Amino acid sequence: MIGLVKAEVRKLFTTRLWWIMLLVMLVLIGVNLTFITAFAGVTSEAGGAALPARDTAEWVQTAWSVGSGGSIFVMILGVVMITSEYRYQTVTGTFLTTPRRERVIIAKLITGALVGLLFALVALVLVAAVVIPATLLSGGELSLSESRIPQVSVGILASLALYGLFGIGLGALVRNQIAGIVGAVVWAYVVESIFTAIPVLHPVGKWLPGGAAQALMSIDVDTGLGRPEWLPAWGGALVLIGYGLLFALVASATTVRRDIT
Amino acid sequence: MTAIEIRDLAKSFGSVKAVDGVSFTVEAGSVTAYLGPNGAGKTTTLRCLLGLVTPDSGEALVDGRRYATLPQPVSEVGAVLEATSFHPGRTALDHLRILCVAAGLPDQRARESLEAVGLGDVADKRVGAFSLGMRQRLALGSALLGRPKILILDEPANGLDPAGIEWLRGFLRHLAHEEGAAVLVSSHVLAEVEQTVDNVVIIAKGRLVRQGTLAELTTNGDSAIRIRASDTATLAPALEAAGAAVDRVEDGLLRVRGLDAEAVGRIALDQRVVLTEVAQERSDLQKVFLELTGER
Repeated sequence: MIGLVKAEVRKLFTTRLWWIMLLVMLVLIGVNLTFITAFAGVTSEAGGAALPARDTAEWVQTAWSVGSGGSIFVMILGVVMITSEYRYQTVTGTFLTTPRRERVIIAKLITGALVGLLFALVALVLVAAVVIPATLLSGGELSLSESRIPQVSVGILASLALYGLFGIGLGALVRNQIAGIVGAVVWAYVVESIFTAIPVLHPVGKWLPGGAAQALMSIDVDTGLGRPEWLPAWGGALVLIGYGLLFALVASATTVRRDIT
Repeated sequence: MTAIEIRDLAKSFGSVKAVDGVSFTVEAGSVTAYLGPNGAGKTTTLRCLLGLVTPDSGEALVDGRRYATLPQPVSEVGAVLEATSFHPGRTALDHLRILCVAAGLPDQRARESLEAVGLGDVADKRVGAFSLGMRQRLALGSALLGRPKILILDEPANGLDPAGIEWLRGFLRHLAHEEGAAVLVSSHVLAEVEQTVDNVVIIAKGRLVRQGTLAELTTNGDSAIRIRASDTATLAPALEAAGAAVDRVEDGLLRVRGLDAEAVGRIALDQRVVLTEVAQERSDLQKVFLELTGER
């Protein structure tokens, strides 16, 4: 199995997509951080501040959680890791080398999670490099317990790893690269945001991958729309793992077993 | 030793019977051609053999086992399927290194394999820039990684230039005859394999039509002798009297069946007829192939 995981890692790092994804993720997180830093504590005409000021623990927590923005890229990478095998028919060679196909899927799930961890680490380095100087220069104090940096960081690591897993499961099920990527993007940006933004839908939303990822980070900030009732962090982790494994299991029983012609 | 055994294999895609009860064997140390027109079921048979397609019924075994149950498949069986199965953005060497690590083979096998198929110089080039012939060589290189004793190739000559085809012929013959490998090579072009193979399996419309050695197939049936003679009017009745079937093709040209060239010569001598041409009409493989596959 170690050999198979190594093979999957080689597959990923011998093509160019991974660093393009990493770069885009860093740009997106960078832009988000810039806005959050620039508009921190700025009061609107109505009088209320949209964002807490830079020297507060709440701002640190909000800014820190921007690192979770990498999840969509990890998910897409996961989808591509499996669908590109079908697209370029390298799946033939893969299954000739490892005829027990479920072993290939397991290796890909592990690799997807590892890649998620790697992306999360890079994202956290960027976040730390921006947020820590920003709050200290604004006269704030960096209190790990109040700003919940450890919890949010672990949440980001876990959610990106699990989104990698999720992407693999999704890709195995869909097999078609375009359908898989479009599905992932629509899901993350349309479906998930509807269910996590509208309070009435929270009872459903908390069981979706996005809600589960929020639960993992257990961010405790009032967004003005009411404090959402997420699952406990471990519950969020279980939900995300559940989706990835469920997809992978269903895929192993259906699409993965299909004839390779 | 039987390296490959196909027994009553059947596979349908929807209502199309791609393979319909095919049985044959391939022995170690020989090159066997798997022949048939396009769409005859060759590729489906090979993919069943390699565990990529699940047959509806029957068995396809390598070394007496199903491919999927082999503990180290790439060290026992090498397969060359279609030429396009590479990621265009990945280098030739990386493609093989990925397969090496997945199969538990040492990484150096990747470079050795590339050298063996003549791609050593382009090992670090992206496959997207490769010609069809280079991709075929790369596919063969990936099949050789585990030094298998059984080699299965699906239309390997597609896209190869004449020099490449010549090289492939020599390579396959060497593997089979010097190293004792069992080689099964499919083709729809007979001329490609005619000079390479020991045995021939012919399939048409999903059904097996003939299995035999190359010699058996070509000498089978009516082998006739064409004769030009000074006086066919005298010679023809004499040949018929000796039990031959004689066609008077045109003035001065006879087609004789049922006698060999020596017997014909002796009768001509007895009749004091001068033979100006005696030719053994070899029923060539192409003709047999077209007859058997019903494509004439």
